Amino acid sequence: MDMSLTLVLAVNSLTLGGLLFLLSAGFSLIFGLMKIPNLTHGSFFMLGGYVAASLIGWGVDFWSAALLSGLLVAAFGGIVERLILRRLAGAELAQVLVTLGLSFMVADVCLTVWTGDPIRIDTPSALRGATSVLGVAFPAYRLAISVIAVLFAAALWALLDQTRLGAMIRAGVDDPAMARVVGIRVSRLFTLVFCLGAWLAGFAGVIGGPILSVYPGLDQEMLPLALVVVILGGSGSLLGSLVGSFIVGFLYNFGQALFPELAYVVLFLPMLVVLVLRPQGLFGRQAG
Amino acid sequence: MANDALALSEIDAFYGDSHVLHDVSLRLGDGRLLGLLGRNGAGKSSSMHVAVGLLPPRRGAVTVYGRQVTGRAPEAIAALGVALVPQGRRVFKSLTVRENLAVAGRRPRGGLPMLWTLETVATLFPRLRERGKQIAGSLSGGEQQMLAIGRALMSNPRVLLMDEPSEGLAPQIVAEVMSTIRRLKAEGLSIVLVEQNAKLVADVADDIVILNSGRVVVEGSAADLRRRGIDLRQHLGIY
Repeated sequence: MDMSLTLVLAVNSLTLGGLLFLLSAGFSLIFGLMKIPNLTHGSFFMLGGYVAASLIGWGVDFWSAALLSGLLVAAFGGIVERLILRRLAGAELAQVLVTLGLSFMVADVCLTVWTGDPIRIDTPSALRGATSVLGVAFPAYRLAISVIAVLFAAALWALLDQTRLGAMIRAGVDDPAMARVVGIRVSRLFTLVFCLGAWLAGFAGVIGGPILSVYPGLDQEMLPLALVVVILGGSGSLLGSLVGSFIVGFLYNFGQALFPELAYVVLFLPMLVVLVLRPQGLFGRQAG
Repeated sequence: MANDALALSEIDAFYGDSHVLHDVSLRLGDGRLLGLLGRNGAGKSSSMHVAVGLLPPRRGAVTVYGRQVTGRAPEAIAALGVALVPQGRRVFKSLTVRENLAVAGRRPRGGLPMLWTLETVATLFPRLRERGKQIAGSLSGGEQQMLAIGRALMSNPRVLLMDEPSEGLAPQIVAEVMSTIRRLKAEGLSIVLVEQNAKLVADVADDIVILNSGRVVVEGSAADLRRRGIDLRQHLGIY
């Protein structure tokens, strides 16, 4: 494999890794903190892209559309959590079935509203073209996605690990009943976490738009990738999500280029190995 | 009565099908210390869980300073100034000592001065200050007990419920905990002290209630019980 192809694949891997982090960080938080396997998470990603495409069509600029679309997806996530998932607390099978069913419903609605044609979101103008790093030209927007992901990772870490709000969320995970006795409104905090996760997924769907486009089936393509990330990295671990995302980004891109027939084997085999040998994931806490 | 800090009236409560409290009534007077005694499984912890809203009673009423709180959420009862030092301590194990205290911080009701802050709790338990950045799960039993008490105080409560704070602790740590309880009482806090150890309670309690199989079997002021020559130990099965 020649050098320039390797470089292109590496940049693409970093980009996909960045998108996957934004997607899977939310999935991991929701699963790690609230024990909800949220299979609508891929739908949040796709919905974010579609809504933003419409907003941009109406003249909203790219970044505002990304923020706003994320907020709308977060609101949708909040409604799902409060009205449906809240009533199924602790019933994981019911949660799996409900969120899977919801994802099919969202897909149908999207197909009706946005038709079956792929919709491309234009790259924001300031980031078109290439940036030169050490004499090598890189597509600026793709690099920006990785940088955004790392910035979000730092911000999320600070929020969860360094603030009183983050400590309250962790207290609610440690011992929900005792946290309530201490006066923490655990239920409200969990809704907040769910909305935050949905926001991240929706936002990721928008900033992934210029690279992936938005099309029917995008949700079901992204969801398994997020699952692999969370299983590799360990649920509830931000660092695990970050590292896992970049691992999956590389496996996916290099796997497709080098062993196109076996791309999914390359992707899912490490997941199987981790599940068997280290079920809590690379960075997850030992259960119990 | 309105001047009771906390009252459970004619409580019947269940864990699933198991009827754990039968017509239980308890009254904690303002500024007093109620010793709640009984054997294992007598219903002491269940009574505390009813008081803080973790176990909604099927029948009966809970009032805090005359206000009905029956069936309200634990966080709402906490906001009225009721704090619990639970059995088994139940500190937030993955949080640091400081975080355990910080998440419970709350201003007192009615614009009273902040009596308890990170600073004053650390003065009461200097060891917690030293261990501030340590993960709570790695503390010794005695330190976790201090943290559980400190965490309860951080909410600047009017009513403090302590569920077997001496359990599993070395004698000198028990003595330390008891002197803390005396001091909190002297500062005017209304306290329920749940214990299996009658001797610990007899020294500090104003009033005493003994539960057996989920029923109140003895109640009265400590002085009254002494006058009537009631041997607490007899009701606790320690001969």
